[in-house]
Amino acid sequence: MKMVKAEGLTYEYIKMLETDHGTEEEKVAALKAVDLEIEKGEFVVVLGHNGSGKSTFAKHINALLLPTQGTIWVEGMDTKDGELIWEIRQTAGMVFQNPDNQLVATVVEEDIAFGPENMGVAPEEIRRRVDEALATVHMEEYAKHTPSKLSGGQKQRIAIAGVLAMKPDCIVLDEPTAMLDPVGRKEVMETIERLNKDEGITIILITHYMDEAVRGDRVYVIDDGQVVMQGRPKEIFSQVERLQQYGLDVPQVTEVAHLLRKEGLNIPADILTVEEMVGTLCQFKLTT
Amino acid sequence: MSIQINHLTYIYNPDTAFEKKALDHVSLEIKKGEFIGLIGHTGSGKSTLIQHLNGIITPTKGEILLDGENIHKDKAKLREVRRRIGLAFQYPEYQLFEMTVYKDVAFGPTNMKLSPEEIHKNVVAALETVGIAKELYEKSPFDLSGGQKRRVAIAGVLAMNPEVLILDEPTAGLDPKGRDEILQAIKHLHEERGITVILVSHSMEDVAKLVDRIIVMHEGKAAMEGTPKEVFRHVKELEAMGLAAPQVSYVFAALKEKGFDVPLDVFTVEEAKSVLLDLVRQVKA
Amino acid sequence: MIRDITIGQFYPVESPIHRLDARVKLTLTFVYIVTLFLINSFVGYLFVIAVLGASIKASKVPLKFMLKGIKGIMVIIIFTAFINLFMTRGEQLLWQWGFLSLTVEGIVLALKMCMRLILLIVGSSLLTLTTTPIQLTDGIEYMLRPFKRFGMPAHEIAMMMTIALRFIPTLLDETDKIMKAQQARGADFDTGSLMQKAKSLIPILVPLFISAFRRAEELAMAMEARCYHGDENRTRMNRMQMHRRDYGAFVVGAIYLVVIIGLRYAGNTFSSLI
Repeated sequence: MKMVKAEGLTYEYIKMLETDHGTEEEKVAALKAVDLEIEKGEFVVVLGHNGSGKSTFAKHINALLLPTQGTIWVEGMDTKDGELIWEIRQTAGMVFQNPDNQLVATVVEEDIAFGPENMGVAPEEIRRRVDEALATVHMEEYAKHTPSKLSGGQKQRIAIAGVLAMKPDCIVLDEPTAMLDPVGRKEVMETIERLNKDEGITIILITHYMDEAVRGDRVYVIDDGQVVMQGRPKEIFSQVERLQQYGLDVPQVTEVAHLLRKEGLNIPADILTVEEMVGTLCQFKLTT
Repeated sequence: MSIQINHLTYIYNPDTAFEKKALDHVSLEIKKGEFIGLIGHTGSGKSTLIQHLNGIITPTKGEILLDGENIHKDKAKLREVRRRIGLAFQYPEYQLFEMTVYKDVAFGPTNMKLSPEEIHKNVVAALETVGIAKELYEKSPFDLSGGQKRRVAIAGVLAMNPEVLILDEPTAGLDPKGRDEILQAIKHLHEERGITVILVSHSMEDVAKLVDRIIVMHEGKAAMEGTPKEVFRHVKELEAMGLAAPQVSYVFAALKEKGFDVPLDVFTVEEAKSVLLDLVRQVKA
Repeated sequence: MIRDITIGQFYPVESPIHRLDARVKLTLTFVYIVTLFLINSFVGYLFVIAVLGASIKASKVPLKFMLKGIKGIMVIIIFTAFINLFMTRGEQLLWQWGFLSLTVEGIVLALKMCMRLILLIVGSSLLTLTTTPIQLTDGIEYMLRPFKRFGMPAHEIAMMMTIALRFIPTLLDETDKIMKAQQARGADFDTGSLMQKAKSLIPILVPLFISAFRRAEELAMAMEARCYHGDENRTRMNRMQMHRRDYGAFVVGAIYLVVIIGLRYAGNTFSSLI
C-alpha cells in the first residue's frame, strides 16, 4: 500500500473580487488534477514558489482540506471518509511554518503530550512517548521549559516531537524552516533526516529552499497547482533553466556547472554539492 | 552624511538576574553612500545595533554621532533622526494597519509633518521604487500577496525620504522570486539615489552579490570588517561564529587544498564561472 | 518596558506549598478569601497575618515577590483608603472641611479595608507563585466539573486559559516589536492630548489584532491536525493525585476556619459585653 496516493486531486475555492460593479465571485483552482504516489519510508520534497499550491496539497494529506474533485488516500484511507479523520491525522502528522503558532501548552512536555492526550492514550503510555519523542529530537533537557523562551529551531523540534508522540507513519512538514535562521534550519533538517533514516518515517517536506530539496529521495515540483516536474534531485536540478522559469533557485555550484556547460565544457549537469564539483574539476586535471 | 559609532555598549535588564550584554564597545563608521552588509547569527547583537542607529534604543554607554552630532543630545531632534535613518524591521508587513496601501505608506511622512504635496510625491515615488502598480494604491494592504505586502511596508519607510536605509532581513520567508524583486529594488535605490544602505541578512549569497563592505557581529562585538573579498576568504573563522561563506567559495578552498592555483576570494556564480573556465583552459593547454 | 509585565508569575522552587495539589490550594485560597470578610477584630487580622506569614515562609518565595502584586493595585488601595478615611460618618469627629470629615471610625475602617485588600492580593499571589499555570488550569477544570451538567464548559474554559497563558508572552513581544516599528515611522506615543494619545494607539492595535487573529487561525488548524476534538475520550498525561500532605493541608485549613469563626463569635460576645 502506498503511503500517500493522489488521483486527479483538485481543489477549488471561491474568491471574492472587489470590482467596479460590486463584489464578484471567482472560482480559483489551487490544485489542478494532481496525480502522485509516495512510497512508505521515502523522503519526498514538494518544491514550488509561494502561491504555487504546495501548501494546499500538504493540508490535503492531513484532511485539513478536502478535495473538491479527485481523491487522496493516506495508507489506503480516503480522506473524504469522515469516520477515518482521526486515524488519518494520526497516521500523517503535520508540522507548520510558524513555530509560535502551533505550540499549545506553556510547558514543553505538556505540549508534546497534547496529541496523544487527544487520542485517548493511557497516561503511562503518554509519559513514555513524550520522553521518547524528546530524546529523538534531542530536547530532553528542555522538558520543563516554557516554549516562548526557546529559539525558533528548538520550537520547531518541539513541534516535531509533538507529532512523533502520536506515532505517525508519515510526517508532512509545511515550510518548517522558512522562518528560521541558518542554525535553526540546520537543526530542523538534521532532525528530519534522522527521523527518515533511523525511524523509517516517511517524510514529505514542502519547501522552496533548493539546498533542502537536494537532500530528498525524490522531488515533485508544483507550479500553478500542477505537478510540472518529478524525479530524483539530480534529474530535477540539472534542468536549471526550467526551474528558474518556475521561480525557483538551484544551488550555486549547479548554476556554475550549468554556465560552464554552456561554454562548451564537458561537465555533468547534475552537480549538486561542493564535493561533486571539486571531484569533477580534479578529473579534468587528471585526464589532461 | 556619516554615522559614527563610538564604544557603543548596551545591556538588557541591567541589575537583574536576566542581565545580558547585547553590545560590547562597538565602534564603527558608516560613510555616505555605502552599501553595508551586516551579518551575524541570531543573538550576535546585530538587531540591537540597528535599533540604536535611529534612536529606538538608548545606549547604556557610548554614543552615536550623525554628522558629528550625538543623536540623543536633543530629544526634539530625535524625530528628524528617525526620518533621516529609515529602519525597516524584520517581517515589516506585520506593521501594516491602514485601510489602503496609499494611506499606510503616507503614515511615516505624515508623522514627519511634511507638506501634503511632499507627502504625495514621496508616497508615489516610494511605491514606484518597490514596484507597486498604481491600481493597487487604493486596495487594502491586507488583500495583497506576501511579497507585495513586504514591499508596501518597505515603501512606508522609504516614503520618509531617508538618507540611510536599514533593512533587517528584508527577504526572510520569501521565495526566490519575491526575494529577487526586493533585492533588485534595494540595489536600484542605492545606485540611482545614492542612498546609504545597511542590509542585515542571513544569506551570504545575497550579501556577496550586493554589498561594498561587510560587518560581522559576534557576541556583541564587531568581530570582522571588510570588503566581501576580504571577509569571505576567512571561511574557518566565519564558521566558528556560526556563519558560512557563499557555497562557491568552498569549491575554491577545496581546490586550493588539492594544490590548484586558484584565488580564494571568489564567491559569486559569474566570477566562479570565469575563473574556472580559465583554469580548465590552462590545464588543457 | 512592556516586557516587564509578568502574568501567571510562577516562582520555581521546591517547597511543601509548591508540592500541594492545585485543587487543595485553590480550595484553601477560596476559604482564605472568605475568611478575610469574616474577621472583624484586630486580633483576627493578626491571626490571619500570622498564618499567611507562616505559609509564605514555608513556600520559600521571597517576600519581595509577594509584595510585587500590591504595587500594581496601589492606586486602588490609596483610593479605598481615601474614601474610607474622609467619607465615613462617625461620632468621634476629629476634623472637618466641607464634605470631608475625619473620624475615628473612618480611620479604623480605612485600615481594615486596606488590610483586606493587601491580604487578598498577597494571598492569591501565594497561589499563583507556587502553582504552575498548567496545574492551576487543571485544578480549575477539575473543580468546575460538577457544574458541567448545568452546561458549564469546564474543559473549554481550562483550554482557553492554557492558550491565553501560552500566548501572552508572544503577544507582548509582538506589541513591543510593532511599537518600535511604528516609532521608526515617526509615531509618537508619549506626547499630545488624551485624544491624540488614544488615536496613536490605532497603528499598534490594528496590526496586533490582525496578528492575533492570524495566530488563532493557525493554532486552531495545528490543534486539529493533532486530533483535538474537545474533551471527548481525552486523557491526561499527568493525573492529579491527592497525597497525605494534601489531606494534612485540608486539616490545617479546617482548623484555621474554626479559629476564624471562633474569633468572630468571641469578638461579638466581647463587644456585646461592653
